[in-house]
Amino acid sequence: MLLVYVSKSHKSQNIALLLIIAACCAGSCVRPNPEAQSTSSQQVREFTDETGRLVRVPVHVARIVSLAPNLTETIFAIGVGDRLVGNTTYCDYPPEAKAIAKVGDTLQPSIERIVALKPQLVLVSTASQLEAFTKQLDDYQIAVYVTDPRDLEGVFTSIKNIGLLLGKEIESLALVNQLRARTLSVEEAVKSRRAPSVFYQLSAEPLYTAGRDAFVTDLIHRARGHSVTAEVPGAWPRYSGESALAARPETIILPAGDSMGADAEIATAVSRSPAVVNGRVYRINADLLVRPGPRSIEGLEEIARALHPEAFAK
Amino acid sequence: MLEARNLTIKYGLRVAVAGLSLKLQPGEIIAIIGPNGAGKSSLLRALNASVQAAAGDVLLDDRSVATYSRRNLSRRIAVVAQEADLRFPITVLEFVLGGRYAWSSNSAWGWETVRDLEVVQQVLHETELEELSHRFLNELSGGERQRAVLARALATEAGVLLLDEPTANLDLAHQAALLMLVRSRCDTRAASAVVVTHDINLAAEFANRIILMKEGRLIASGAPEEVLTPLLLREAFGVTVLVDAHPVTGVPRITPVHEMLR
Amino acid sequence: MTSTAAVKAPGRVVTLDARLTFRRMFIACLLLLVALLLIIFGTSLLGSEQLPTRATICALVTYGDHSCGLRPDHEAILFDIRLPRIILAASVGASLAAAGASYQALLRNPLAEPYLLGISNGAAVGTMLALVYFAGNEWSRPMMAFFGALLATLVVYRLALGRAGVTPERLILAGVIVTTFLSSVIVFVTTLMDATRIRSFTFWLLGDLSGTTSSMLAITVAFALLGTAVLVVNARSLNLLMLGERDAFDLGVEVGRVRLVVFIAASFLVGSSVASSGSVGYVGLVVPHLVRLSLGSDNRITIPAAALAGAIFVVVADTLARTVIAPRELPVGAITALVGAPLFIYLLRRGI
Repeated sequence: MLLVYVSKSHKSQNIALLLIIAACCAGSCVRPNPEAQSTSSQQVREFTDETGRLVRVPVHVARIVSLAPNLTETIFAIGVGDRLVGNTTYCDYPPEAKAIAKVGDTLQPSIERIVALKPQLVLVSTASQLEAFTKQLDDYQIAVYVTDPRDLEGVFTSIKNIGLLLGKEIESLALVNQLRARTLSVEEAVKSRRAPSVFYQLSAEPLYTAGRDAFVTDLIHRARGHSVTAEVPGAWPRYSGESALAARPETIILPAGDSMGADAEIATAVSRSPAVVNGRVYRINADLLVRPGPRSIEGLEEIARALHPEAFAK
Repeated sequence: MLEARNLTIKYGLRVAVAGLSLKLQPGEIIAIIGPNGAGKSSLLRALNASVQAAAGDVLLDDRSVATYSRRNLSRRIAVVAQEADLRFPITVLEFVLGGRYAWSSNSAWGWETVRDLEVVQQVLHETELEELSHRFLNELSGGERQRAVLARALATEAGVLLLDEPTANLDLAHQAALLMLVRSRCDTRAASAVVVTHDINLAAEFANRIILMKEGRLIASGAPEEVLTPLLLREAFGVTVLVDAHPVTGVPRITPVHEMLR
Repeated sequence: MTSTAAVKAPGRVVTLDARLTFRRMFIACLLLLVALLLIIFGTSLLGSEQLPTRATICALVTYGDHSCGLRPDHEAILFDIRLPRIILAASVGASLAAAGASYQALLRNPLAEPYLLGISNGAAVGTMLALVYFAGNEWSRPMMAFFGALLATLVVYRLALGRAGVTPERLILAGVIVTTFLSSVIVFVTTLMDATRIRSFTFWLLGDLSGTTSSMLAITVAFALLGTAVLVVNARSLNLLMLGERDAFDLGVEVGRVRLVVFIAASFLVGSSVASSGSVGYVGLVVPHLVRLSLGSDNRITIPAAALAGAIFVVVADTLARTVIAPRELPVGAITALVGAPLFIYLLRRGI
């Protein structure tokens, strides 16, 4: 408490003083109050996340925020959907996920909203979101765990890691075993078949496709397809129409879904390719192909069925 | 024949010229003098329909100038403004050829005709710019540039020349030379000219008639001897002047008398 | 009719040649046209897919005669993908350069250019609206782009109009304001709305010459020819306007009418270019200046020559865009900026 002596001749000085005091009080309100986050003797475990960062996570995590749809799906798949307190506007599966509080989209989530939900752990899906907030969330002493699944095997690893983080090792292992069994069954079914050439068209004009680092490239490979753009550097390269035409793909896969519309057009460059001529253009739910999570297996199965209908004819 | 009848020009609420009338006869040069803000330039601008009259009219051959097409009017009335503002490199020849625009039949894409070149050739000779015809305009001196501006106006072969302070940036030698050119044009081809100028002595020397303006109004109009009197000049400029006769030419010579504050 | 005038003046006979300007224009444009055709021919042989040279040349010359021995898919690459794209590049380049040259003359500003003045972005917003509300109708795109371009032009012009007319400083300021504002609008809308319907903002802000249908190509070529013709027809008036609106008015130019016609024609040019391929910057800035440096400021020469030179510039830039990191592609606007900016610095030092 400060006593301020108000004197007529020093009025302006005193106003300034009052303002400074007010500013200090306001400043202390903004700084995160350390007490809110860690209750007296919360035990903490140390993990190394999938990008090599060291993360300190409470032993029992009751409140989680997920910043990617695939992570939301994983969380629900291992049975801890009830601990999810916040997710993104894109998190729409399973249906229960839609009812959970939204903190924004995957690229620009709102720090304020996240903090207001008082999570103990925030799950992030790719390293690209990292810069933006880990620093800020660190200040609020919220643990951020980054997963970085690049291929199907990576998805299994992520599921297991998430299981570890949330005390659901058994459930996550069971899930991974299930998914792996399905994967193996698909790979078995198509094992000795000839791999047709595949062109994955992300968008028609301008022409974007899946490159070496795209997740779906791994799925295509496992489904015994030969993606014509598998060697192109990058994840989603802008591709030359000539090369797409010259590749003469036997099959074309188009991601489809609510946002894409069932009638996504085929790029002019491949409009007369063998795929189109033979009617082997397949529209597969985009969510199954780009969300590296439990449903990726469904994506794999759909691709395999599309590429090798005879193998699944029964 | 160019005539202004009861011309009033307004910019918003401000009256620049109020009820002014003048008649320009072929072969004559009229000089318009007056203090700053007298409306001289506005008057000049109204004469070629650059500025619209709020009341009254400007008539060319008994037809309002507003009824002439732009091209038509430019063949009859030419303007010599102060130096051109040059942002792109252009040669003297190209610049002066611009004066032939109004004569091009297929104006837009129109390429210059033989006649265009003959006229420009003549004009370049008159204004002593032949040697400089292929130089860039911005390489010329101020005086040479002003001659080029005059040359362009002469190239239009217009019967009426309107000059807005043409000698403002010229040295002594070029001032007289320019006005002599105008004078000879008026004498040889029965053209006429209206010159707005601050140089009263030059006006006295070259003009047939002088119009004295103040605050948009005509104060006096007539031969130099009639208008350039100490009384009238005091009324217009608020300056005391001494008027005598030029020792050589005999025209009125105006010498201002300033109060020295020491 | 004699094409020369020789007037005897005391002491000197000076000969002026009436045909001089016309002849220069004719020669310059002929050379540029030949260069353009050669470059179109040459760049048809280049691309992310290697085509057999002899068979390709044969096919080009005979326009698809099957006896040339070109495989069907190579034929498809050549005639369905590569050649249309090259022709589109030429149209876009010609349109933007001619429009740029006209803006510079009309606004008396060496920096006037569709991109810098925000006119390209206006066209982009127009096209985006067409894609959202009139998705099926192809004609709606260049038309809405035209309106967007014209609207942007009028806004910039009004903003730049001070008491002393349109000074260079005010014009550039107004242009910067409008460009940046509209860029933000574009980013905003493309972020909110589904990118597959209205293209990403790299398309709008950096250009992309792939993926046009033959009807859009035809429209762009037609607009390019028509718009450039209108500008050329007004070239002499632009010559006078370049020296100042007042001077031009005094000399008989119907300033208001010419200004409107030029704005409209240029908006058609910019609109059709942007509608088919996004904003390709620097073309309208650098090409006219290079042309003026070599051929002088007479717009009767500058505008057609700039159109041809602009076509060459964008064809070459696009060839680079589609071959340097093949099979991936770069946006053509990135190349024009990479080339155009240093070129412009060079021009600045030469003193434009």
